[in-house]
Amino acid sequence: MANLVETVDLKKYFKVGKGRYLHAVDGVNLEISEGKTLGVVGESGCGKSTLGRLVMGLLPATSGQINFEGQDIVTCSRGEFKKVRQKIQMIFQDPYSSLNPRMSIYELIAEPLIVNKVYHDKADILKRVYELMDTVGLAERYINSYPHELDGGRRQRIGVARALALNPKFIVCDEPVSALDVSIQAQILNLLMDMQRDLGLTYMFITHNLAVVKHISDTIMVMYLGQCVESAPADELFANPKHPYTQALLDSILKPVLGTNKDRKLIRGEVTSPINPAVGCRFAKRCEHCRPECMEREINLVDLGGDHKVACTMCGG
Amino acid sequence: MEDGKILLEVKDLEVVYQTDESTVHAVNHIDFSLKERETIGLVGETGAGKTTTALTIMRLLPERTGRILDGSVLFRGENLLDKSEAEMRHVRGADISIIFQDPMTALNPAITVGNQVLESLEIHNVEKKSKQELEKRVDALFNLVGIPAERKKEYPHQFSGGMKQRIVIAIALACQPALLIADEPTTALDVTIQAQVLKLMENLKEELGTSMIMITHDLGVVAETCDKVAVMYAGEIVEYGTTEDIFTGEAHHPYTTGLFNAIPNLDEKAERLHPIDGLMPDPTNLPEGCKFSPRCPYCTEECRSRTPYRYEKNGHRIFCNRFEKEG
Repeated sequence: MANLVETVDLKKYFKVGKGRYLHAVDGVNLEISEGKTLGVVGESGCGKSTLGRLVMGLLPATSGQINFEGQDIVTCSRGEFKKVRQKIQMIFQDPYSSLNPRMSIYELIAEPLIVNKVYHDKADILKRVYELMDTVGLAERYINSYPHELDGGRRQRIGVARALALNPKFIVCDEPVSALDVSIQAQILNLLMDMQRDLGLTYMFITHNLAVVKHISDTIMVMYLGQCVESAPADELFANPKHPYTQALLDSILKPVLGTNKDRKLIRGEVTSPINPAVGCRFAKRCEHCRPECMEREINLVDLGGDHKVACTMCGG
Repeated sequence: MEDGKILLEVKDLEVVYQTDESTVHAVNHIDFSLKERETIGLVGETGAGKTTTALTIMRLLPERTGRILDGSVLFRGENLLDKSEAEMRHVRGADISIIFQDPMTALNPAITVGNQVLESLEIHNVEKKSKQELEKRVDALFNLVGIPAERKKEYPHQFSGGMKQRIVIAIALACQPALLIADEPTTALDVTIQAQVLKLMENLKEELGTSMIMITHDLGVVAETCDKVAVMYAGEIVEYGTTEDIFTGEAHHPYTTGLFNAIPNLDEKAERLHPIDGLMPDPTNLPEGCKFSPRCPYCTEECRSRTPYRYEKNGHRIFCNRFEKEG
C-alpha cells in the first residue's frame, strides 16, 4: 500500500541563545499508509507534539522532507500548500482552550467552511454543520450553545467536527483524550475509530498514554529526545520491546490489576537536556546496558524484520 | 490486614457549595474510616467530590461558598469540624498534610525550595529547636526524597516536574504527619516519573508509618498503592471495600464495572471500548433515588424513586438495589 504521509530525515531545531539549539525533532523518518494509524508515544519534552505540528505545516521544518501523497510540503509554494492543507487537519489536546469561547457551536464548526470558501450559500453551510454534528454525535439543539455550556466530552466532539469539516484524508490527533475522564475518553476513542472505518481516515495519534496507544494504533513509534528509538506494529512492540527505553516505559505502566507489577525496573534519573545534545545514544545516561560504544557515535535505526526497527547498539544499531 | 488503631473516621459527611444562584451538592453523606498505616483510595471522575472530601478534612473549603451541613470528621477521636481556626493551624502540616495535584503551582516561585521546606518546620517548631537543627532536618528531608541537599538554595523553576513533586512531598512530610492526603499526586507527571514518585511515597510511608488518603482517577495507581478503596460518584460512595474486593470481588456496583470496562485493556485486543453511557449528573440538580440511575444499564423504577439499598458482605459495601436480595 502506498504511504499517504512520510517524512525523510525531518529536523526541527529551536534557537534558544547564541549557538544553542534545542533539538526538538532530530532526524525522524516515518511512514503512514492510507487508512492506518501511527501512534507516537514518549514523555513530555520528547518532541512528539513538535513532530505533529511539523507534519501539519504549523511549524516550518529546519531540514528534511514531509511528503503528503508524494508531494513535499516543506518546499512547495504557498498556493500549493493551501490546497494540501485542506486534506490535513488536527485535533487538539485541550477542548477547554482550543475553542474560542465567544463563538457559538455553529460558528465554530462553520469557520473552516467559510475560511476555505467551500460553499457560497448559507443554507448549504448550515446543512453541512448539521451533518457534521450528526457524525460526531452532537444533538442538534446545541447548535446555538457556547463552549462553556458543554462538558469536556462534547467540547472535544466540536474539535473533531471542525477537523472533519473539509473532508480531510489525514488527521493529526495531539493527545485528544488526555484532558477527559475515563468514561468520556472511551466515547471519543470509539468515535475516532468509527470515523476511520467509515471515512477511511489516516491518523497520527500522539499520546503519552500507552494503553490508549495500543488500543488505537496499527504501528507505534517510541520517541526519546527528538529521535525515534523504536517503531513496530502495536502488538509486536508490546510483546517484544527491544530498546531499553521502550522496555522501561512499558514496565512503568500501572495496570489496574492486583499484584501484577510490584517489582518493576525503574529508570534512573530524568530526561536530559535536548539543548545541543552530545553525540551518541541520548538515552545512554539512564540506560543500565550503556557501553562506551553508545556514547561514541550516532546510533542508526536497524530493521529487525517484520517492520520492527530499533536504534540500540545491542541490536546492531 | 493487621489490626491498627482507627486514625480517621469520616461520618455522614455532607458538604455543599452555596452560591447566589444555586446549591452544588458536592459531598452527600459519605462514611469511611482509616486505620493507622493504612492507605485508602478515593476513586472517581471529575466532580465526584474527591477533592472536596480532602479539603473538608483539612478544613480548607472556600470560606464564602463551602458549607459543611452535616457529619463529623474524627481524627484520633477528636472532631476536626469543631476545632477553631487557630487549633486547626496546629493540625495542618503537623498532623495532617496534603500533596496537591500540580507541583508547578503548589510551590512559591519566589522562595528557594529549601526555605519552603523550612517554613513548615519553623511554624510547627514545638520543641523550640535552633535554626541549625532545623536546617539539618531540611537536608535530611532532601536526601529522603532523593534530591541532593546542595540544591536547596535553588528556585522551583530550576527543577523538573518530578523533582518539584518530590519537594512538595518533602514539605508535606517535614513534620512527620500521621495522615497524608495525596490529591492526584502523579497525574501531572510522566509515566516513568510517576512510577518513581509512587515508589518513593510507598517507601516513605513504610519508613515513617504514615496513613494515606490517595485521591486518584487512575485505577492503576489504586492497584499499586491502596489497601482500601472507596469508589465515589456524584458525591456519594457507591462502593467501599478492600482493594481485593474492588479488583477481584464477585459483586460490584454498575459504576465500578463501567469504570473498569472503559479503560483500554493492555492484555486483550478489543475492537471497541465500552464507555458508560451519558454524563455525570448536574450537581446542582441531582436525580432522585440512585444518582447513577440515568446511566445505569440495570436501572429499574425502584432505583429512580428511592435511595439504593446497602448491601454488605465482610465489610464490602455496595449501594445498589441489585444486590439487596442476595445480601
